[in-house]
Amino acid sequence: MSAEDTPRAVHGRAPDVFRRGGWVPMRCFDDEEEVDFAIVGTGAGGGTLAARLAEAGFSVVAFDVGAFYRPLEDFASDEREQSKLYWRDERVSGGEHPISLGSNNSGQSVGGSTVHFQMVTLRFRPEWFKARTKLGYGRDWPVGWREMWGYYAKAEAAMAISGPISYPWGPPRGRYPYRAHEVNAAGQVLVRGARAMGVAWAPTPLATISAPRGLAHPCVYRGFCKSGCSTNAKQSVLVTYIPRALKAGAEVRDLAMVGQIETDDAGRATGVVYYRDGRWRRQRARNVVAAGYSIETPRLLLNSATARFPDGLANSSGTVGTHLMVHSNHAVWGEMDEEIRWYKGPPSMAVCEHWNYEDQKDFHGGYAFMSQGPLPVDYAQSFVSNTGVWGMELRRRMANYNRMAGLKIVGETMPQEKNGVTLAEERDRFGLPVARVTFGYCDNDRRLYEHSLRFMRRMLKAAGAGDLFETESTAHLMGGCPMGFKPDDSVTDADGRTWDIDNLWICDGSLFPTAGGVNPSLTIVAMAERIADRIVALAGRGELERRGRRLGALAG
Amino acid sequence: MPEPSRRSLLSPALWGGAAAAAGLALGALWMARRPPRRAREGMAPAARTAHGAAMERHLARRLDEAGTMLSLSVLADSAMEHYRGRFHDPFMYAAPAAAALSLARGGPGSGRRTAHGAAALTGAVGTGFHVYNVVARRESGLTWNSLFYGAPLGAPAALVLAGMAGLAAAQLRVEAREGEPASIAGAPAAPLVALGTALGLLGTTAEVALLHFRGAFQDPWMYVPVTLPPTAALALALTVLRPTPATIAAARRLLQATTAMGLAGAGFHAYGIHRNMGGWANWSQMLLQGPPLPAPPSFTGVALAGLGALDLMESER
Ligand SMILES: Cc1cc2nc3c(=O)[nH]c(=O)nc-3n(C[C@H](O)[C@H](O)[C@H](O)COP(=O)(O)OP(=O)(O)OC[C@H]3O[C@@H](n4cnc5c(N)ncnc54)[C@H](O)[C@@H]3O)c2cc1C
Ligand code: SF4
Repeated sequence: MSAEDTPRAVHGRAPDVFRRGGWVPMRCFDDEEEVDFAIVGTGAGGGTLAARLAEAGFSVVAFDVGAFYRPLEDFASDEREQSKLYWRDERVSGGEHPISLGSNNSGQSVGGSTVHFQMVTLRFRPEWFKARTKLGYGRDWPVGWREMWGYYAKAEAAMAISGPISYPWGPPRGRYPYRAHEVNAAGQVLVRGARAMGVAWAPTPLATISAPRGLAHPCVYRGFCKSGCSTNAKQSVLVTYIPRALKAGAEVRDLAMVGQIETDDAGRATGVVYYRDGRWRRQRARNVVAAGYSIETPRLLLNSATARFPDGLANSSGTVGTHLMVHSNHAVWGEMDEEIRWYKGPPSMAVCEHWNYEDQKDFHGGYAFMSQGPLPVDYAQSFVSNTGVWGMELRRRMANYNRMAGLKIVGETMPQEKNGVTLAEERDRFGLPVARVTFGYCDNDRRLYEHSLRFMRRMLKAAGAGDLFETESTAHLMGGCPMGFKPDDSVTDADGRTWDIDNLWICDGSLFPTAGGVNPSLTIVAMAERIADRIVALAGRGELERRGRRLGALAG
Repeated sequence: MPEPSRRSLLSPALWGGAAAAAGLALGALWMARRPPRRAREGMAPAARTAHGAAMERHLARRLDEAGTMLSLSVLADSAMEHYRGRFHDPFMYAAPAAAALSLARGGPGSGRRTAHGAAALTGAVGTGFHVYNVVARRESGLTWNSLFYGAPLGAPAALVLAGMAGLAAAQLRVEAREGEPASIAGAPAAPLVALGTALGLLGTTAEVALLHFRGAFQDPWMYVPVTLPPTAALALALTVLRPTPATIAAARRLLQATTAMGLAGAGFHAYGIHRNMGGWANWSQMLLQGPPLPAPPSFTGVALAGLGALDLMESER
């Protein structure tokens, strides 16, 4: 029975991610049973929230259109096979700089994109939470950095982050739960360059364990991370929060596509309509949480339009599906004299955040850059599509694979209203209108990545690389349903609660008002931790139900 | 053998308990080999002399055992680790070779001392190499990352200890004079060996502390080898200052526990290997990737020397 064909989490049990062929018991709810929370998406935001809410005693059903994998048996050491982890359903990409979708920015499986993320877990620079007031660009976040600092620590503990003893940038942070991994040769190239350029560097804090953790094996440095980690070293949501959620009594429904969030005449959410095992069904819920990430969450809200909400749910401000951001992913590559074998180990083992914390520059926002280690197919694809090299020359260049090194940025882009998600004419395999994603860089974005290319070129040269070339791409998605201070220019408040529908929540990367110059998942998990605490607090004060209905779990 | 993920994983506590029990049993067996009986008050002078000589031989034997244990540990550990490093530098053969030579003790008489001396020297030079590897050969210079993953700074010191133990044993035998207190290089043997042992324990602890810190003390048992041995070292040092029956008894118990811990440690490390991907079914990789199986018994080796010193101390009182 393949995980992609038939739902696995059924009949009171779910796959045990730590044992081949193993199962763990799972509480199951009836469609007719009104659960406290129906959560759409089980990634960094949804998976985390499902665990925390179930642990707080709420009844929770979490849906994911993706499969429920057991990494030990389902993940092959084969880049092609593992593309099953990407979101491969249809989407339309447009705008001035259409972004390529799928492998670089969205996953589709229980655990969400964290199942194939590259495990870089960095905290925001504190000032970014007040980007507008402190740094003069973008928007402010409705949460403060001090509060987030605490949630970062919680998230890092839950994912057993392996990080350095001291981190050169930002305010002090506690000790990472696990020690940093050995910086591989590709990382040492960054180190050499950083020393030559006089900037600081650090072993990258990574969500993969450097020592055993329960039933998860420590990392074996085989470098397949982006294709799914078959040892469970990678601390994805699939092997951290999802087992916690199941243990606490949440139900996870795999291969379950939510097509619509239903609302009643009073304008409150009543549950979700979802497709599973060959038919459409309906789950009743007191609260609905959209956690499908920056493309699918806006799409779902737009697809759930009714006569009462003709522009889609929670969209009275018109900001649903706007202010979508990516990270520019520009890179410089070069050939070293010595063998590097950059595929060994997680792909980004050394990081430089210098330009996130330095404000003397000709652009707003910042960028981090990291050492690189793409697998051969990934590398060839990016090389060919960026340079157009083909034939014998391509063969010659690929033969140098083991001597390559590279530096790549995670570059902040500005929130722009015109970048976003709308509905296209085309329909997907479920008959639902697909998302049309529009993206274009602004001048500031361009100045940022040009600055980074200049800097990384000098740095890579200083580290001894020759035959340099550049590539461009994008990674990560942020925004699309920004949270904010007021109902007229944002979709939710600081708690991810939509302004328009008080029992409809959002808990994923689409909440980001600004992108920040670091990979987003740690901030998403930290935010989900915070939202969970807020929900518990609100429930405790009886403020989850504004119209007199009480939450079942807390009524007793 | 099925992979670990297929097997039900016993709780660390259970495994730890089993390993500790096995270690204790082995340790107890070792301890059971009683030293010659204590000199008694009204013993005739001739008998006392004979007894002293017996105690000297006993300490020499204990030192030899300590050296053997340490050499064994270094031989296996350096062979594995340097194999992992592909013996990329020919000098990397020196450590296992010297340990093997010291183990074989190079035949009679002066050959012995040459072998032990060579081991100690190799250890000292090895320390230099390791420092060079950590500090100079890394892009980053001296950082936590190079300390964690560069050549282990303290490991070659175990070879120094092995050689020193062997040398001390040989010297003890050479200097044995009837009716005179045991001495090594002219210094009284018992306090000298006791202090050497204390230093050896502290050094070994430093190394373990670094590596267990690298392992994030993910298993609470990992705290034992960074707390018990230094306590034993302090107790041992105290016996040099005040060799009373109470201090000697306390130090003895702590050293016995350390001896057992060293053996149990190998059991814990075997369990640690099991917890790596593929576990023992993938032993050819995981012996190298997991915790070093032969390392913990070096504690046993060092502690044995200390126990010998305590026996002598007791008889000399
Ligand atoms: C290749 C790659 C590398 C990355 N590397 C890093 C990195 O190193 N560091 C980092 O911080 N971040 C990284 N990221 C980004 C990170 O993984 C995401 O930012 C993060 O997982 C987003 O969390 P989320 O909860 O918003 O959405 P996701 O984690 O994507 O979860 C959304 C889930 O919702 C499901 N879903 C969506 N719509 C529906 C629906 N209608 N019905 C049912 N289910 C639905 C999807 O299947 C998906 O599983 C990477 C991403 C990719 C793709
Ligand atoms: S390198 Fe480590 S984290 Fe990456 S796939 Fe291999 S074991 Fe998993």
